Amino acid sequence: MLFFSFFKTLTNQTVTIELKNDIRIRGILKSVDQYLNIKLDDIEVLDLDKYPHLSSVKNMFIRGSVVRYVMLPRSEVDVGLLEDATRREAANQAGKAR
Amino acid sequence: MSFFGFDSTLPRDRQGGPSATRGFFENPDPFAEVARARALEDDDAIDFEDTYDGLGDQLDDDQDAFNDDTFGGGGPAGPSTGAVGKDFDFFGKTATVADAIGEEQIRYALQHPQAVPVAGQQAQPAAQPEPAFSKRSGYEKYSDPGFIPDLQAKSSVWGVSQKKPEPMPMSMPAMSAARKMMSLDEVEAQMQMRNQGYQPSPVPQAMHPHLADPSAYMRHPQNIPLPDGFPTIPPEVLRAQLERGGLHPGMPHPPPGMPEMHGPPPGIPGMPPHLMQGNPPPQNMPPQGMRQPGPPPNQRAPQQQQQQQQQPQQQQQVPPPTSRGPNGGLPVITDPQQLVHLTEEQRNAYLVEDAKRAKRNHKIFLLSRGNGLMTPQDKNFITRIQLQQLVAAAGNVADSDPEAVLAEDFYYQVYSQIRGAPRQHPHQPLGHFAQTYLLQTGNRIGGHGNRRAFHSADNHMQRMQQQVQRAVEAAKAKPKNKQLIIEGSLGKISFSNAKAPKPMLNIKRPDSSEGPRPKKLHSNLSLSDRKSILTNIEGVYSGLMSMEDMERTMPPPPEEGDADAIQEHMEWRQKARTLNQKLWQSLKVMEPIVPNSTTPHPFIAFLSYPKGKKAIPRIFRHIDQEQRVTILTMIVVHLDSLDVVHLAQPVPGEAQLSVAMRESIDLFSLAVMPSLLGYVNEAPFNIIIGLLGLVIAQTHVQTVARTKVGLGILTMLLSRAEIVKEAGQASEVDWQQWVAKFNVLFDTLEPALADIFTSSINSGDDMYVWQFLAAVGIGASPEQQQRLVIAVKDRVMETVAYSKTLPADMASSRLGNVNLFMRAIGLDVELLG
Amino acid sequence: MERNDTPPNAQQRNPQQQQFQQQNALGPASQGPTGPTGGPPQLPPQMFTTAAQLLDLTDKKLVLVLRDGRKLVGVLRSWDQFANLVLQDTVERIYAGKVYADVPRGIFLVRGENVLLLGEVDLDREDEIPTTVTKAPFEEVFELKKQEDSKRKSGDKKRHTELSALGFEPEHSGEILF
Repeated sequence: MLFFSFFKTLTNQTVTIELKNDIRIRGILKSVDQYLNIKLDDIEVLDLDKYPHLSSVKNMFIRGSVVRYVMLPRSEVDVGLLEDATRREAANQAGKAR
Repeated sequence: MSFFGFDSTLPRDRQGGPSATRGFFENPDPFAEVARARALEDDDAIDFEDTYDGLGDQLDDDQDAFNDDTFGGGGPAGPSTGAVGKDFDFFGKTATVADAIGEEQIRYALQHPQAVPVAGQQAQPAAQPEPAFSKRSGYEKYSDPGFIPDLQAKSSVWGVSQKKPEPMPMSMPAMSAARKMMSLDEVEAQMQMRNQGYQPSPVPQAMHPHLADPSAYMRHPQNIPLPDGFPTIPPEVLRAQLERGGLHPGMPHPPPGMPEMHGPPPGIPGMPPHLMQGNPPPQNMPPQGMRQPGPPPNQRAPQQQQQQQQQPQQQQQVPPPTSRGPNGGLPVITDPQQLVHLTEEQRNAYLVEDAKRAKRNHKIFLLSRGNGLMTPQDKNFITRIQLQQLVAAAGNVADSDPEAVLAEDFYYQVYSQIRGAPRQHPHQPLGHFAQTYLLQTGNRIGGHGNRRAFHSADNHMQRMQQQVQRAVEAAKAKPKNKQLIIEGSLGKISFSNAKAPKPMLNIKRPDSSEGPRPKKLHSNLSLSDRKSILTNIEGVYSGLMSMEDMERTMPPPPEEGDADAIQEHMEWRQKARTLNQKLWQSLKVMEPIVPNSTTPHPFIAFLSYPKGKKAIPRIFRHIDQEQRVTILTMIVVHLDSLDVVHLAQPVPGEAQLSVAMRESIDLFSLAVMPSLLGYVNEAPFNIIIGLLGLVIAQTHVQTVARTKVGLGILTMLLSRAEIVKEAGQASEVDWQQWVAKFNVLFDTLEPALADIFTSSINSGDDMYVWQFLAAVGIGASPEQQQRLVIAVKDRVMETVAYSKTLPADMASSRLGNVNLFMRAIGLDVELLG
Repeated sequence: MERNDTPPNAQQRNPQQQQFQQQNALGPASQGPTGPTGGPPQLPPQMFTTAAQLLDLTDKKLVLVLRDGRKLVGVLRSWDQFANLVLQDTVERIYAGKVYADVPRGIFLVRGENVLLLGEVDLDREDEIPTTVTKAPFEEVFELKKQEDSKRKSGDKKRHTELSALGFEPEHSGEILF
């Protein structure tokens, strides 16, 4: 749930998402769910010429399983807190495994 | 009779066409009745008129020819999905026959008007009891919370702020259906009406010839041959409603006892006349009307509501044009006259926009024909399932257990507190966490690009500046023969020609590159060393986190005589001590120092990683003074083997250090230095003396002096000593001891003084050097001060000259830096011109 | 960030919030927007569900891209928490090179795992076909597409072979993805 928790804090931030089929989409992150499906508003497809079918798309739902990267605004990430969240997650997982 | 015991015969002849085109998907919410039934707590008091849904009037006893189509061959006679909404079209196979939808709708539309009144009148008496019965015969179990808990979803959950309709009088649903049917149409129709009013916009007209009809109807509603069930609605009212955005639930409805509006589906009143003469599929048919014999009107209500909600959404899709609708904010053109007053350009723009809007509205309208297939209840239900899954994954989030929430959602929870609105309850556990991280982030540990990081870097420098300044101010009381220094050291300064003072002395700089190079420490770190260091760091962090957790559980201070509370408190303290010891162990500060070892001391290795540096402020919060001085001592002893010192030596020919190293130094300055400074500011004099002695004895001072961090530590010690002395807190013995150490330091340092400015003059990054020189200057004897001036006078002059080329504010800050030093030795840049 | 910080009984809150508020009153799964711990107002959990993401795409015209590269344009009528979808009036749009063709398909029920993305079509812009592509007869496009596909398939195969010889596991081995 770490990533879910993390992405939740990025709502209304502009992110760029690269899919596993190389499409890159920039837009405002409106929502994320437990499967890390992502909802983007006001999207802009980079290299739009290659993807004419997306030319009139304005909002987008992206299935989490096809996402390769999410590029985030650095200033919106609290690295220290994220590190601790990661430690806690690891501890939780270890605790559950036992 | 149907499965649920009401009359399920088909409402009308639907030969040939697929009898039901919806399937389960289009079924009205099966649970809608539940909420309604709940609302009616007093079952016995339910007035028939309040609950009757008008179904019975639509029923036609002898029309069951298509039951097979609905349920598959040979099944029990069941209703088709259309007219009777409470049946389950379990299979909905006919839903797959999508193409037939329109056809069927048209057929119905064409056939129905005539059939209605008759069928209605016939059916009503027989059907009347049935719906009432059905209301109580198939759905009661859904009201039982045990049956399907929490499914009595409110349609309003996903809706706009519209109030959930109360159980409606029988005919009202039908009316609201009518309202619905007009609602999608309405914008368009109104637009059309306006268009026709002043200037028929040819574009939309041409593209969508059908659009003319609704507006025609809108203008002359009374021309529509209303079914007999309708006469009680005055055309004016109907029209007013339609124009205003449709009929609202709760708006006029036929008086009780009126013939039900059974026959005509809600759509009929809006049916353009031409459709009744066998025209092709009407594109402007309102969606609800298209779906012919709809589900019982009152079951439809949620659906309609949802569609009403969706409508604004759709209108929002393209803000400017649509917002010209009845409730829009933009200038509304309601009168042809207005258009006349517009300029040609405006008119063209308006017309283009108008055409665009018409086009879009038409599209929306076409799409809307199948709207509401998924009801708000469906959506709510799915949301609920998913939230349940989340709860299952996250432990029970619902039982107000902040620990469980924290465990699974730590980042979000704390982050939203840190960056969120002001805390309402600062003493709650979560608030505590935010506090912890705010504290940490208040000194925003650099390295994550946060702007605040740079801001607080300045803060740190400012704090150092203040300390040095205090020392300078304290020392200024007794200047040390400034005339001598001016004449002797800076050359003969002609005050009349201060702009270009010409130094008369030209002292050769001592060669500073002597002395052993610092040992290479990191290069021979094996992979396993690296791994073990990182493991240590993680150990420290888990220790820290358990201490922070511990802190949150601190019991309130016990009251006098409350044995239990005292006991609790003692236990807590004991645990805290244990954790402190654990943390201390994992820091490995007490590991023996191995002289001349090729591997760095574990604690110094710890500090060489960003994670280690960042941990220091958090560590300092949880350790006592003795532990702090131990850490400080450890750092001072190893000053020249700190990564930010021995790897930060200026490289000849390179203007500045590598980016990585600069980041590392910044991080050290941000994370470690404030903690150290905080301690040093309160440290007793003997400790300062001891530390200075360690620097001289244990480290290569010239190496240390060529770095920002090294100079920073020295500045810290020197200025603290001066403050202690000026405050009269230093004993004579101590002071003598200090002066002896200082003299050694000065002598060692002097040859390197010219090299301590590692950055070029225009980089502006020399504040820390001036601070250091000031700190040295205060403590120096007049003779030492003179030597000091000789060593750095070039830089002084250059900076003064350079600052003249800068904007005023930058120049003054540069001169301020220099002046800090100048005043420490009793001079002022003013004297230089 | 949208924060639910108006008092619960405020009348003019936006619809979204209102919904969540009411939702909160319903189920055990929901905690109040301020959470049980009294921190600052936080976004409601309902916002972070698949349902919330698909909610405002419902009954909208969408482009659905499947993992096998198919592009379907249709109206989203229904969905569930796995993003299984029902599309009505669907048209498959086949692209090949600089041409495309539309093939009417009807109703689609798509299993969620095959979904790559779902884009809401801007009704104002949908008719502005990019100048890079032109409409062509289906047969022509289909033929071209077949050639492209086989070309790509052999290219992929070759790359796959070379990568596995180097010990790489290709990025999406075991799944088809275009």
